[in-house]
Amino acid sequence: MDTLNQVLLYPAFQLGADLEGWLAAGGGQGLIAALAEPAAIIPTLREADLRGMGGAGFPTWRKWQAAAEAPGAGKFVVCNGNEDEPGTFKDRHLLRWTPHAVVEGGLIAALATGAAHLVLYINPHQAAAVAEMRRAVAQWQASPWLARMERALGHPLDIAVVETSGRYIGGEETAVISWLDGHFPFPRRKPPFPAQSGVGRAPTLINNTETLAHVPHILRHGAAWYRALGIGAAAGTKLYSLSGDVMRPGLYELPMGTSLQELIFVHGGGMLEGRDFKAVFTGGPSNTLLTKRDLDVALDFDSVRARRSRLGTGAMIVISEGTSIIRKVAEYIAFFAAGSCGQCPSCKAGTFQLARLLDRIDGGRGTAEDLQALESLCRILPGSGRCGLIDGAVTVVESSLHTFPDEYAATR
Amino acid sequence: MRAIPATRGPRGAPPPPPPLAALLQSNALLDDAALAGATPLRADVLVLGGGGAGAAAALAAAGAGRQVILATKLRMGDSNTVMAEGGIQAAIGPEDSLQHHFDDTLRGGHNSADPHLVKQLVTDGPAVIRWLIGLGMHFDLEKEAGLGARLLRKKAGGTTVPRILSHRDVTGLEMMRVLREAVELHPRITVMNRCPAVELLSDDAGACVGAVLYDLEHRRFLLLRSPAVILATGGSGRLHLGGFPTSNHYGATADGLVLAYRMGARLRDLDSFQYHPTGVAWPAPLAGGLISEAVRSAGAWLVNGHGQRFVDELLARDIVAAAILREIAEGRGVTRGGRVGVFLDTPGLLARQPDLLETRLTGLKHLAHKAGFDPRREPFLVAPTLHYQNGGAVIDPQGETTIPGLYAAGEVSGGVHGRNRLMGNALLEIISFGRRAGAHAAARPVAAYSRGGIEHVHRWQRALAAAGLPRAPRAPLLYPDYAPFSLRQHAAA
Ligand SMILES: Cc1cc2nc3c(=O)[nH]c(=O)nc-3n(C[C@H](O)[C@H](O)[C@H](O)COP(=O)(O)OP(=O)(O)OC[C@H]3O[C@@H](n4cnc5c(N)ncnc54)[C@H](O)[C@@H]3O)c2cc1C
Ligand SMILES: Cc1cc2nc3c(=O)[nH]c(=O)nc-3n(C[C@H](O)[C@H](O)[C@H](O)COP(=O)(O)O)c2cc1C
Repeated sequence: MDTLNQVLLYPAFQLGADLEGWLAAGGGQGLIAALAEPAAIIPTLREADLRGMGGAGFPTWRKWQAAAEAPGAGKFVVCNGNEDEPGTFKDRHLLRWTPHAVVEGGLIAALATGAAHLVLYINPHQAAAVAEMRRAVAQWQASPWLARMERALGHPLDIAVVETSGRYIGGEETAVISWLDGHFPFPRRKPPFPAQSGVGRAPTLINNTETLAHVPHILRHGAAWYRALGIGAAAGTKLYSLSGDVMRPGLYELPMGTSLQELIFVHGGGMLEGRDFKAVFTGGPSNTLLTKRDLDVALDFDSVRARRSRLGTGAMIVISEGTSIIRKVAEYIAFFAAGSCGQCPSCKAGTFQLARLLDRIDGGRGTAEDLQALESLCRILPGSGRCGLIDGAVTVVESSLHTFPDEYAATR
Repeated sequence: MRAIPATRGPRGAPPPPPPLAALLQSNALLDDAALAGATPLRADVLVLGGGGAGAAAALAAAGAGRQVILATKLRMGDSNTVMAEGGIQAAIGPEDSLQHHFDDTLRGGHNSADPHLVKQLVTDGPAVIRWLIGLGMHFDLEKEAGLGARLLRKKAGGTTVPRILSHRDVTGLEMMRVLREAVELHPRITVMNRCPAVELLSDDAGACVGAVLYDLEHRRFLLLRSPAVILATGGSGRLHLGGFPTSNHYGATADGLVLAYRMGARLRDLDSFQYHPTGVAWPAPLAGGLISEAVRSAGAWLVNGHGQRFVDELLARDIVAAAILREIAEGRGVTRGGRVGVFLDTPGLLARQPDLLETRLTGLKHLAHKAGFDPRREPFLVAPTLHYQNGGAVIDPQGETTIPGLYAAGEVSGGVHGRNRLMGNALLEIISFGRRAGAHAAARPVAAYSRGGIEHVHRWQRALAAAGLPRAPRAPLLYPDYAPFSLRQHAAA
C-alpha cells in the first residue's frame, strides 16, 4: 500500500516497545516541542483540528482545555484502550506496535493539563497489547524523560497500565472512571463531566488511543502539516477498520475524508467474489447504515454526519447483496444486549427485547405483532439510558427498518 | 497445493492425490444468500454422519444428558459400517494383552500412527465389546456353545494373536443393527435423514459452532447451531482415486475432510489409502465389491495365473495388495471378461472345510448367489480395490480436532492407524473414538451458543483469489461425480 500519507502506521514506527528505536525514528520530537512551549500545545491541537477518534469526533482541544482549566490537584489523563465492539480493531494495533507514540501523546496531554497521573486503560482480552504497553511504560520510567516531565510539571507523574474489566460498557468514559475508582464499570449521568470530576473526583481527561497517538506527530510537524494530510476540509489521517464482504479486509490509514468508494474498491480490493455492494455498518456498529447512495461520501466526521450517520470509530463493516441485513442487525443487537450493564431498566430490558424480536424475525418465526413491537421500542427507548448504549442499539435497528423495509416485509 | 498454507500439515508431507487436493481447494457450496433464508435449529451436540462412529457419538452425548441431532446424508445406517464383514479387534483372549494389540497396531501402521491414540484405542477394546453386547449385538461363539461359551476369536492379517471377533462375515451389519435401534429409540436424539452438511459455522474466535445442512426433501437450508459438532462422515472411496474401483458405500465422498480443512483444521496422511487386496475383479457385476478378509482368515489361498501361491495371505493388507499388483504387472495375472486379477481359491478352501459357507462365510455365499455362481466350483478373480482412507483430521485422544468445538471420529479422522490399518481396527475405532468424542462434546458448555457465520468461508475465498486458484469448482461433493447433483439447481427448483 501507499505509505506516503501514513503517520500512525508508517512502517518505521511499528517497533513495539523499543524506546531507543522510537527516538531514533524521530519520536520524542513532539514531546521536546511541547516541553519547550507547553502553552502552545492546546492552540496547536485546535489549529490542527484533531478530533476524538473514540467515536464522537469531539474536538480534542476543547476537552484538554476544560481539563487544564478545571481547578483541582492530582489530575488524571486516561488513554482509553478498551476497544471491544464488533468491527473495530485499530487501538489494539497501536498499543501493540506503536506504544511509544501513545505514551508520548499521553505525556503531552499530562503536560497540557498539569496531570499527576497517566493511566493506560487496556482491554485484557488484548493480552499482547497489555504486555507490550507494560514494557513500553517501564522504558519511559527508566529514561531521563520522566524527570524532565516532572521538572516541567512541578510535581511527580505516575504512569500506570491498568487492565479494564474487559466489558464493552467499560469503554464509556464515566464507566472508565467508575472502574478506576475501584467499582463495577457502571456509567453515570453527565454532568458532572470527567473534566470537572473524574477519577477520585479529580479532573480527568479521557481520550481514545488513536487520538493520543496522533498528538506527538502533530506537535513535531505542526498543525499546518497535519491539516494538509486530510482531504478537503478534513484534517489529518484516520485509521479505518475495514471488514465484511471485501477482498482485503484490514486496518487502513488513509487521509481523513477518503471516500467510501475508494476505501472499499481501491484499498479493500473490491467486493468478495465480485458480489454487489449493499450497505455498510459504521463502527460501532451503532449508527445509521450507509447504502449504495452513500458510496461517494467522504469518510470524515462532518461529511458522514451530513448523511445522517456517523463515522464512529472508523469501523466499516461491508455487507454484500445476498447477505441478510436483519441477520447482521440481530447479531449486533445481541452483542449490545450482552454488553448492557443492566443499570438502566430500559436498556437492560430494551436491548433484550430488541434482540429477542430480531432473532424471531430473522429465523422466520416473527409475526406482524413482533414487527410492531420492534418499531414501537424504537420510538420509546432513545434517550432513556445513562449512557449512549441504548441509543446506539436503537439507531441501527431503526436504520435497518427504514433503509431495508423489504427485508422485513415477509414478517409484515 | 500452493494455496494451502504449509502450517496446516507437516512440512514436506506428500500431497494428497490430485482429485482430493482439488476438492480440498475448492470453493464453498453456499454463500450468504443461502444463510439468509435458512431455518434455524439448535442442538447441544450435532453429529454429522449416520454410520457407526456417528451413532456411537450420539449415544454417548445423549447418555450424558444432551439434546443431540444426528444429521446424515443418506439414511441412518447407510454407511461403510454396514458393509464391514470381517470383524472387530479387541484384546480379550487369554494369550492376548493390550500391549500385544498396541504393538501389532503400531507395527501394522509402519510406526506412523499416533501412539497416544493407539493406546486409547486398544485400552477401550474390551469395554467396547462389552458395550456392544449390552446393546444386543451378537458375536460368534466358540464351538462348545451354551452357558459360559467364549467369543470366537480369529486371526487377522498382521496380528500376532487371534483377536478378531465377528458375527459371521456380516459383522458391520449386525453392529449397525443394534446401533441404529438404540439411536432411533433414544428420546434425546433426533435423526435427520437426507440432510447432508454442506458447510460448518464458525464464530469470531474461529471455533466451530454448528453446521449448515441441506434438507433434500424440502429443498431448504437448515442453520444448525450447536456448541459442539462431531464429524463422523466416513471416508472417500467414491472418489475412485487412481482409477481404482472401490468397496465403499455411495456416500463416501470426503465431505468431512473438505469441511474441516476449509475451517482450518489440520489433516494428516492424506496421501495414504488402503487398497483391500481382495476386491472382486470378476464376475463383472460385483466388481469393486469386497471379499472379506474372513475368507483368507479361514484359510483361502491366493493363486496366480501359473497356479502358484505367491504371498502369505495373512500379512498386512498393503503387502498382500502390493503382491497381487506385482503378479498382475509381471504378467502372471489372470484375465476374464476383460478384467485382470488373481484367483481366490474358494474351491480349495471349501473342499477342506465344507461347512464354512453355511456357518462363517454367509456373506460370501450371498455374494456368489448374487452373481449366480458356485464358489465351491469356481474361484473368484480378485484385485485390489480402494477400501479405506488411512489419514484424515488430526484429533487428540478425546476426539477433538485442532479447531475448538469440532470433533472427528471414525474414518474421517487420522492418526489412529497411521499409514496402514489392520483389519478389525476400524470397527473398534468408530466405537471407541465415537463414544469419546460424544462424551467430550457433551461436556462443552451449553450456554455459549454463538450466532455463528461463515467468515471462515470468506477468508477461504480470499485465499483462493490471492493464490490465483479457480473459484468455480465447489465442494463438498455430496454424491459421486457419476451421479451428477447440483445443490444450487436443486435448491433453486
Ligand atoms: C466393504 C467394507 C468392509 C469393511 N470391513 C471391515 C472389517 O471387517 N473390519 C473393520 O474394522 N473395518 C472394516 N471396514 C472399514 C469400516 O467399516 C469403516 O472404516 C467404518 O465403518 C467407518 O465408519 P464411520 O462411521 O467412520 O463411517 P461410515 O460408516 O461410512 O459412515 C459415514 C456416514 O456419514 C454420512 N455422510 C457422509 N457425508 C456426509 C455429509 N456431508 N453430511 C452428513 N452425513 C454425511 C454417510 O451417509 C454415512 O452415514 C470395511 C469397510 C468396507 C467399505
Ligand atoms: C457504550 C460505550 C462504549 C465505549 N467504548 C469506548 C472504547 O472502548 N474506547 C474508546 O476510546 N471510547 C469508547 N467510548 C467513547 C468514550 O465514552 C469516550 O467518548 C472516548 O473515549 C473519548 O475519547 P476521544 O474524545 O479521544 O474519542 C464508548 C462509549 C460508549 C457509549
